[in-house]
Amino acid sequence: MNKLSKRIIILFFTIVTLGFIGLFVIDKAANSRINNIGVISTVPNFSLINFDGKEITSSILNDKITIVNFMFTQCEDACIVMSENLSLLQERFSQSNDIQFLSITTDPEFDSKEVLSDYNKKYSNKNNWFFLRGDLIDIINLSEKGFFLSAKLLPAGHSTRFILVDQNNQIRKYYEGTVDANIYELQSDIVTLINQM
Amino acid sequence: MNKLFFQSAVVSTVLSYLLIFVGGLVRVSGSGLGCPDWPKCFGRWIPPTNINQIPEYIDPTSFNIVLAWIEYGNRLLGILVGFSIIIMTLIAIYYLRRNKKILFNSLLSLFLVGANGGLGAIVVSSVLNPFIVSLHMILALFLVSVLSYLCIESYKIENDHPFSKVFLSKKISFSLITLWVVIVIEILLGTGIRTNLELIAVDNPLFSKGELLNSLNSYKYLHTILGFSLLFLSLYLCYLFKRDNFGLSKQLVYFIFIMIIVQIFLGELMIFFELPQLTRLFHTWGSSWLVGIIIILYNSLQYEQA
Repeated sequence: MNKLSKRIIILFFTIVTLGFIGLFVIDKAANSRINNIGVISTVPNFSLINFDGKEITSSILNDKITIVNFMFTQCEDACIVMSENLSLLQERFSQSNDIQFLSITTDPEFDSKEVLSDYNKKYSNKNNWFFLRGDLIDIINLSEKGFFLSAKLLPAGHSTRFILVDQNNQIRKYYEGTVDANIYELQSDIVTLINQM
Repeated sequence: MNKLFFQSAVVSTVLSYLLIFVGGLVRVSGSGLGCPDWPKCFGRWIPPTNINQIPEYIDPTSFNIVLAWIEYGNRLLGILVGFSIIIMTLIAIYYLRRNKKILFNSLLSLFLVGANGGLGAIVVSSVLNPFIVSLHMILALFLVSVLSYLCIESYKIENDHPFSKVFLSKKISFSLITLWVVIVIEILLGTGIRTNLELIAVDNPLFSKGELLNSLNSYKYLHTILGFSLLFLSLYLCYLFKRDNFGLSKQLVYFIFIMIIVQIFLGELMIFFELPQLTRLFHTWGSSWLVGIIIILYNSLQYEQA
């Protein structure tokens, strides 16, 4: 065998090997994304009031992918970023009817239906974003026992995390609602879940 | 010592090409944010293998061990390339300082690898801004161009017999330079398409492949048209070398022609068939080969004696 055909054979096998490594890695990465959003726990039953006065119970979570967060309208820095990020996600997924957003106020005393309604007008551009209020004690319970997020020194002490809940009322993952890299990740996880539906 | 330099240049070049492959793998597998920090990964020099190893100030929910190691593999290989280029440059400084071409280009490659490492940090902190990711790749193409040049230049010092009967006439010189420039333009167009696709995909996460392609401007066709014109240009080169003996130069000319056919095939495959990620990876990698090989071919030819 001459030098050239030897080189061609080596080249061929190198490329085939790299191709298999490439396939393996791409496949591993795709699977890791699915495994990384494993079920954490089930959201307990709740009953809260939307800004339009309608009662919203945990059954709203059925058959939809839901992003949940805690906020209050007078909160000045984190909540604004969080609401803007949710607004961005709402717009980017506006073509899908499989996704919805729940923002629960930790300041129900100030955040009346009217205040929440105004807040909704400011950030939401579709009817799949619910701004909920209820008894403070219920909200603390829901945050701490339902979503495992601390809710001390409310209203300001609420968590700044977004919670990804799947169509079977199951908590799948948490994201820091103010960090761009987390929003990026949340977006790709939503796509993964929608594709699995 | 020329031989030592040649060997270190070959090692640096091969490793850099491997690095481009791994970098492409990071991009197509979407692992670019596998490590949220830089240069460490989750605050560690060796990425965590277990969720308990993540420091408190970093959010553990973003931890995905597979993505972290893919991203870190790119960084580790980058460090290896850096060291290999440092060694090569040291050899150049100690033994080949009189050869200004080799000295200058070794230092240039050292600068390029350092700059691209730094750009890697910006890639992460920009949350994978598609422009910066593309710039990261283009800088790597410059790096392999310089390294390929160093390989052939140092090889020529040792082996003074010509690789070809064909001289670097004006016609051939012009054709090769045109080919290289058009390929670079073609790569810029290709990265432009990819950048735009990624930007559109961020705003429209549910778009299918067809919808994404449809939302591109008509300049996407320019990439295809230019691809076919490259095919004819390389065919013309084959014609120019048809009387040459089958040495390095002629082999490279044929190789370029075959590579361009493969590239067109991969490009069309990406649009019309499945496995787009693997095809993308090889399409990108193949373009980096062409850039280096044309430089080697050009410098393997001798100037016409007056």
